[in-house]
Amino acid sequence: MIRLLGTGFACLVGLFLIAPVLVTVASSLTTTRYVTFPPQGFTLRWYAEVFRKEEFLSSFVLSVGVALAAAAVSAVVGLACGLAIHRYRFPGRAALEGVLASAFAVPTIVLGIGLLQWFAQMGLASSPFTLLLAHLVLTVPYTVRLVLAGLAGLDRSAEKAAAGLGAAPFLVFWHVTLPAVRGPLIGGAFFAFITSFDDLTVALFVVTTDLQTLPVRIFNYMQYDYDPTVTAIGTLMVLFAAVAVVVIERFVGVAKLFGADTEQNR
Amino acid sequence: MRASTATAEVSADDAVRRGRLRLDGVRKVLGGKEVVSAVDLETEPGEFLTLLGPSGCGKSTTLNMVAGHLTADGGVIEVDGRDVTGTPPHRRSMGMVFQSYALFPHMTIADNVAFGLRMRKVAAAERDRQVAEVLEMVGLDGMAGRHPRQLSGGQQQRAALARALVIQPDLLLLDEPFSNLDAQLRVRLREEVGALQRRIGTTTILVTHDQEEALAVSDRIAVMADGVIHQLDRPREIYLRPGTDFVAQFIGEVNALDGTAAGFTRDGYACRVADATVAATPAGEAPAEGTEVRVYVRPEVVRIRTDRTSGLVGTVRETRFLGSRIRCVVATPAGDVTAALPFDADVPAVGEEVTCEWRPSDASLTAR
Repeated sequence: MIRLLGTGFACLVGLFLIAPVLVTVASSLTTTRYVTFPPQGFTLRWYAEVFRKEEFLSSFVLSVGVALAAAAVSAVVGLACGLAIHRYRFPGRAALEGVLASAFAVPTIVLGIGLLQWFAQMGLASSPFTLLLAHLVLTVPYTVRLVLAGLAGLDRSAEKAAAGLGAAPFLVFWHVTLPAVRGPLIGGAFFAFITSFDDLTVALFVVTTDLQTLPVRIFNYMQYDYDPTVTAIGTLMVLFAAVAVVVIERFVGVAKLFGADTEQNR
Repeated sequence: MRASTATAEVSADDAVRRGRLRLDGVRKVLGGKEVVSAVDLETEPGEFLTLLGPSGCGKSTTLNMVAGHLTADGGVIEVDGRDVTGTPPHRRSMGMVFQSYALFPHMTIADNVAFGLRMRKVAAAERDRQVAEVLEMVGLDGMAGRHPRQLSGGQQQRAALARALVIQPDLLLLDEPFSNLDAQLRVRLREEVGALQRRIGTTTILVTHDQEEALAVSDRIAVMADGVIHQLDRPREIYLRPGTDFVAQFIGEVNALDGTAAGFTRDGYACRVADATVAATPAGEAPAEGTEVRVYVRPEVVRIRTDRTSGLVGTVRETRFLGSRIRCVVATPAGDVTAALPFDADVPAVGEEVTCEWRPSDASLTAR
């Protein structure tokens, strides 16, 4: 009986989480000119509409580009930073760790305002580059955390053993250190991609009318037209994320990304 | 571990030429403190030498300097006449085994063992052959495809040993390799390692804080404390004839009797303790007559005689049956003397007047 209730509760929670997605997907199929649920009739017209609107496509390309760059840079910077903090005692090490740890606590809207000021003062015009910088502020602290957790599980003796067996320093890094943080790195990169791709708050402050990420584009579009094009894009984004998860699952295993794998994290 | 005769012979031949380690005045300062001060050491090729001492005595630091993971702040480290003091670890040919096993968790056992050969660019077929051979030697054939986490602690340590041995190193360095294992396995594995080492003849340096382990496996033991070697000798000498107070107290139980040097006699070097004369063997140079000395006698070498009343005479205060031994404490004018008698010895009665004796060659004497 208790078990039955438990299962029921779990199903309710699942439904609660997935319902918004279902509503979005369903309402993108409506034949009406406004978003409604349940959908009335069935049409794929709004999907055709998405591809007809060039600004959405260019925003998608921008978002993916920035997200990929954020993923790659976060992984590299996260690894370097994690190694430095883990290995060396240098002036400012505690401060760096503190800043990285507290970065999570800063509301993104505050960050957005700050970055707007900062970029203006530095004379940096809005560009994909400033967007990338803004997103790195969000993603790097997380990657560093993950790398540090991975390194904590690495036995320094294993690196010594590799060196003793004839591996030059780079080969020790390549064959022993890197595999220990491979999971955290891929996880961190994945997180960075999603964070950057999803971000609206910070991007709102950094973008211009010519340069809009997909979430900003949708947000702006919705202020004037609330037609099902928006839900069609939403559905496409869900599909995109789902495909990404499946691809990563095929090559790495999603569980591994989030530290469920003991081998990588021991 | 099964014999693999062909390799054993080849390696033994090699060892005749290789594996002479020499440390000359090696020093290391860590965090402003000199943890190793002027260590001198020389091994014979094929020797099993143990650095024994409490934690913080500098033994691991010394081993890490030999391996190249730490750089010596002074002195010279030579292997077979080559100065390797400044050589990075990957250019020294030394196989190291760690307390934590230190296997590469993401590689199979076979890949772990093959790592050193891969770094040496040994061809795949030859590599596979050598890996299979060394795995059989350590009794891990059939485990090649497993990952380290699928193996027990003992098996992991055997794999680590195989990984270190397959490169036919100049030196095999063992850093507390048995300390993570439970008591029974520890004894079994150390016997296996000892037997394997004698068969393949690779010069081996073991670091341990376990005196029993050191006595059991070593050809020679260097007892270290506070960054210096107190005594470097064969296990029997280390045990029976400690050269310093530290060595005497660190290893086993000891009777320490204070007295005055009385010069050489027919039965060794004489020493007046309280109103009796006892004899021992001076550790190092014999002290001048009349100087203050201390005599160290292990309980196992003390014999109790009830038929004599000359020499070191005392009253039996306590006897206790301990299974393999009978512990007997005799109160003498020079202090309590503990004897560990064989289980079938005639046990004196408590209160009986007895004489404590030992062979002078089984006891040592140092200046105080």
